[in-house]
Amino acid sequence: MQKIKDFIVNSRVWRSFFRHGWPDNPLDRSLVMTTNIFFHLHPVKVSRKSLRWSYSFGLGIIAAIVFTVLTVTGILLMFYYAPTVERAYTYINTLQSQVPFGQLLRNMHRWGAHLMVIVVVFHMARVFYTGAYKPPREFNWVVGVILLLMTLGASFTGYLLPWDQLAYWAITVGTSVAGYAPGLGPTAKATLLGGPEVGQEALTRFYALHIMVIPAAIALITALHIWRVRKDGGLAAQDAEEEGETNG
Amino acid sequence: MAENKSTISRRQFLGIAWTGSLALFFAQMMVALLKFIKPVTSGGFGGLVYAGKIEEFAIGSINRILKGRFYISRTEDGIIALWQKCTHLGCAVPWVEEEGQFHCPCHGSLFNKVGEVLGGPAPRPLDYFPSEIRSGEVWVDTSQPIQRKKFDPSQITGA
Amino acid sequence: MAKKTPQPESFSPETAPTKTYSLVELVKAPTTMADRGPDNTIFAFPAVALIELLLTLGVIVVLLGMSLAVNAPLEEIANPNTTTDPAKAPWYFMGLQEMLEHGHPTLMAVALPTLMVLFVIAIPYLDNDHRGSGVWFTSARGKRITLLTALYALIVMPIYIVVDTKYPLREILRGQFPDFLLQTVIPGLLISVIVLLPLLILLRSKPTSREIVLVMFTMLFVSAIVFTLAGFLFRGPGFELYWPWNMPGGYSPWDNL
Ligand code: HEM
Ligand code: FES
Repeated sequence: MQKIKDFIVNSRVWRSFFRHGWPDNPLDRSLVMTTNIFFHLHPVKVSRKSLRWSYSFGLGIIAAIVFTVLTVTGILLMFYYAPTVERAYTYINTLQSQVPFGQLLRNMHRWGAHLMVIVVVFHMARVFYTGAYKPPREFNWVVGVILLLMTLGASFTGYLLPWDQLAYWAITVGTSVAGYAPGLGPTAKATLLGGPEVGQEALTRFYALHIMVIPAAIALITALHIWRVRKDGGLAAQDAEEEGETNG
Repeated sequence: MAENKSTISRRQFLGIAWTGSLALFFAQMMVALLKFIKPVTSGGFGGLVYAGKIEEFAIGSINRILKGRFYISRTEDGIIALWQKCTHLGCAVPWVEEEGQFHCPCHGSLFNKVGEVLGGPAPRPLDYFPSEIRSGEVWVDTSQPIQRKKFDPSQITGA
Repeated sequence: MAKKTPQPESFSPETAPTKTYSLVELVKAPTTMADRGPDNTIFAFPAVALIELLLTLGVIVVLLGMSLAVNAPLEEIANPNTTTDPAKAPWYFMGLQEMLEHGHPTLMAVALPTLMVLFVIAIPYLDNDHRGSGVWFTSARGKRITLLTALYALIVMPIYIVVDTKYPLREILRGQFPDFLLQTVIPGLLISVIVLLPLLILLRSKPTSREIVLVMFTMLFVSAIVFTLAGFLFRGPGFELYWPWNMPGGYSPWDNL
């Protein structure tokens, strides 16, 4: 057994994937972070205090996780959906009544979307109340606000897709609000809807925004956001610790 | 280089030229994008809609024409085709016979028979469509809803 | 500069030093870990990886549980000719829709929310004092200020919503004054006074910039929650105020999720 394991782990193929040994010593534990694309967003070492649950409640990470779940369930939903006024509603009905686990999948996507809005809002509140937006993290706060707005945008554009009464009137009311912005408002509204009313053009545009434009932007900007967390010196809890000690 | 009269060097000039053309190119792309995403449908849900014969609309009555999404309101002077879309946030406004007014279910805007606001948050009277009476037949052009600040008798098509 | 290490007379593998590094210089400057680092930090692997794995499992379990318990709503197919009663935006925009009940749309749904977003973006530039970063509420005083402001918003905002709905100045005085005054100027002033009042009180006691943004953010955040809940839970048919458990016509706000 051990021999087979050693053979695999020492083979050139395996070594070409992973350039470090099993991470049970400081060197390999550093290498696992710096040589793995998924881990490299993390620092090699973290302060104990920033890991403390009562500091961050893990809300930022939870937001990223919910986003990932939404991406997976969303892609699966696309297998049984098309954005046309005649058929969108029927597709959703079929998904719920005929497709195995279809209803479950739709539920997860919908509740996940609501959850993500809540989690992101609470994440913002915790960042604010811990004063973690202060220098040098100003820019990351601005990035965060953009992420919040985009999260709302993703939820809102998805809301229209089932094309039921709830969707139709929610989007009618929601987009009418945009029309009241002085100057650009009416144009912005018409551009979003692709016409004077919520109709086929609106459904097409919302679909494109919902499945591609906004998620791609969120993914990119989240990468920037988390990378900045590291470049700004990790979580702010760490700074507080250093200050606390130098002050006595 | 000392006898070079121009104040900007060749390198600077090329830098400016490149940056400038790139900026210009980018601006063009943005304009093209804006033009591209501008809606192409000019409005409305269909051109001319036949509403019915003028005798079918009794004086003082309100009739809903579902396929054109408007109401024909007949007054002493003639008719006006009111778009059913609430001017507040776009709900479809039903005519409530018992109250003798349009009553929006969404935030309770009230409109009278010619679309004037009687109450609620709506900021302007109901929009209307141009209508025409040709040999007793009422035709409504639903492609261009008309917004108005207030009701004026000229908005009525005489009958 | 480091001193040159004395060369051994004859250089051979046996005599070559096993130590391949040397201390070159000591510098007095902040380093990440000088003096104390190692005790306060731990390797991110496997601790953080495990935390993330657990959180992932937790999120999936919670979502699965919710999805098994409650089905996502699906009403009849969209019909542009009949509006549902009430017609509500998604819940996270119900705060906006509730605002719309209290004044002109340009003020309530555009101007004020835009100001709010701009304020939120500007927070780190309004309060750029690095001290107190990474500590909840920064100080005991900060915590008290936050709690008092939250309490104030929790009491005043519901009262404003109820009173303004029951006795809407705009409707009572309709036609007697210009619409602009009734729909925009008066509600705008009223809201501004309510929102800025805690700040004005605070300003009398020489606050730090952190305390100023604490008051403003708390005020706006709690108000946004109050308005969202009012619109989402307490508005029923005809967009009238009801108790959520006592809606007429078999309507339940939860159907709108
Ligand atoms: C899609 C939404 C978002 C995702 C996925 C996300 C992700 C994260 C993650 C993973 C962290 C690490 C710390 C933690 O878990 O709390 C973090 C920290 C941070 N986030 Fe976000 N975030 C999002 C939205 C926001 C918003 C809306 C804001 C503020 C307006 C914000 C501002 C910050 C700041 C300033 C930090 C550094 C906190 C500190 O140093 O203590 N983020 N974010
Ligand atoms: S949409 Fe008609 S009153 Fe708001």
